[in-house]
Amino acid sequence: MIRFLIYSSFVFLSLGSCRSYQYPNAVGIRESHQQELNNYYVDSTHTYVYRSQIQAFGKDVHGNLVIRTIAPDVHRVALLSDFGQTLFDVSIFPDRYVLHAAMADLNKKMLVKEVVRIFRTLTERRYAQQALIFMDKQHYPVYTVDDRFYSMEERHLARIAVAQSGRERFVISFVDVQGKLPKEVAIEHRKYPFVMQFTLDKKQSVL
Amino acid sequence: MLLFMLPFLSNAQTRQMTTGEVAAFQQSLKRSAQIKTLSADFVQYKHMSFVKQPITSSGKIYLKQPDRLSWSYTAPFQYKMVFRDHKIFIDDQGKKKTMDIGKSKQFEKISRLVSSSMRGSVYDEKEFSVSYFKKGEVSVLKLLPKSNDTKKYIKEIVLVFSSNDTQVEEVTLVEPSNDYTRFILKNRKVNAQINDSVFNL
Repeated sequence: MIRFLIYSSFVFLSLGSCRSYQYPNAVGIRESHQQELNNYYVDSTHTYVYRSQIQAFGKDVHGNLVIRTIAPDVHRVALLSDFGQTLFDVSIFPDRYVLHAAMADLNKKMLVKEVVRIFRTLTERRYAQQALIFMDKQHYPVYTVDDRFYSMEERHLARIAVAQSGRERFVISFVDVQGKLPKEVAIEHRKYPFVMQFTLDKKQSVL
Repeated sequence: MLLFMLPFLSNAQTRQMTTGEVAAFQQSLKRSAQIKTLSADFVQYKHMSFVKQPITSSGKIYLKQPDRLSWSYTAPFQYKMVFRDHKIFIDDQGKKKTMDIGKSKQFEKISRLVSSSMRGSVYDEKEFSVSYFKKGEVSVLKLLPKSNDTKKYIKEIVLVFSSNDTQVEEVTLVEPSNDYTRFILKNRKVNAQINDSVFNL
């Protein structure tokens, strides 16, 4: 019991950067050897094309997601609707972004900022030196860096949870990872009614 | 815009129509306006400045006056939209949905713009500034929207007409960012019988 309380206190203090967010079943944080996280989109010779389905605020939009890796830490990301209209087109750097185009109805500062945050999390390679400790034995490790929690499964990244103000802000799930690339990506926003699903279009991607 | 117009401008054979040619062409457009139905295969190319290869998709379009439109993608994915009775019916690989057009006015506006371009009925001079060109035997129309609302989405529409039957065979929508989407129509059938089942989902 004492051990549990110590772990709980440690979690509370250690996770101070994301306030009181408590990762489910985690009781503490341990130091880990440096772990590379999310290296799906680091190859600058590649362009990734996904078929996209977006449900946002009661609207459905189908189209494509295009990710071009400019450099391992710089990505150009575009969301297109059917009929080819560009919804967003943005270059994402580690500390800033450049908006190239946004459809008039969607060009709101807060919305663009949140979309950038989501796609930065999706594409950004990070390194962690801390992992969570769980009460029960956990098959797969969960690494944490800043406000993000990276769940690994069978040596590949399966899920990223981003926390803010004590809650999960959004979650990115990688499904059917083949050849170091997820064939499917699902993004669910926890604060807003906003769900995105992407299915890799290998033929149109440059891999 | 320059990038997009390059194929037209760089070709020495592209020139502005003479007054006589414009008058004759407008006459042929009036005949085109009598289209009751249209069916065609299409290939869609989305060009973006940062991607070498365009994003390509293809499918089939059916139009029936006054307000029925079936738009289906068959490659690289199966996806069908039907615009009917102020609703959008969607079949996404077996998953069916219905949306009120009122909930997606902008989506409807774009789709109408594309489909009316293909029908050849978009060049209302109240809505667009129209320029007429000739490229060899082919007629080319360049439309610049006048309303600020449309300008938010579309910078320019370019229509290429077949020299054989003066029907639209190519539509290009240029966005304010200069990225553009090009639709090529093939196997066009005008005023042929279209079964109503095409518009059912």
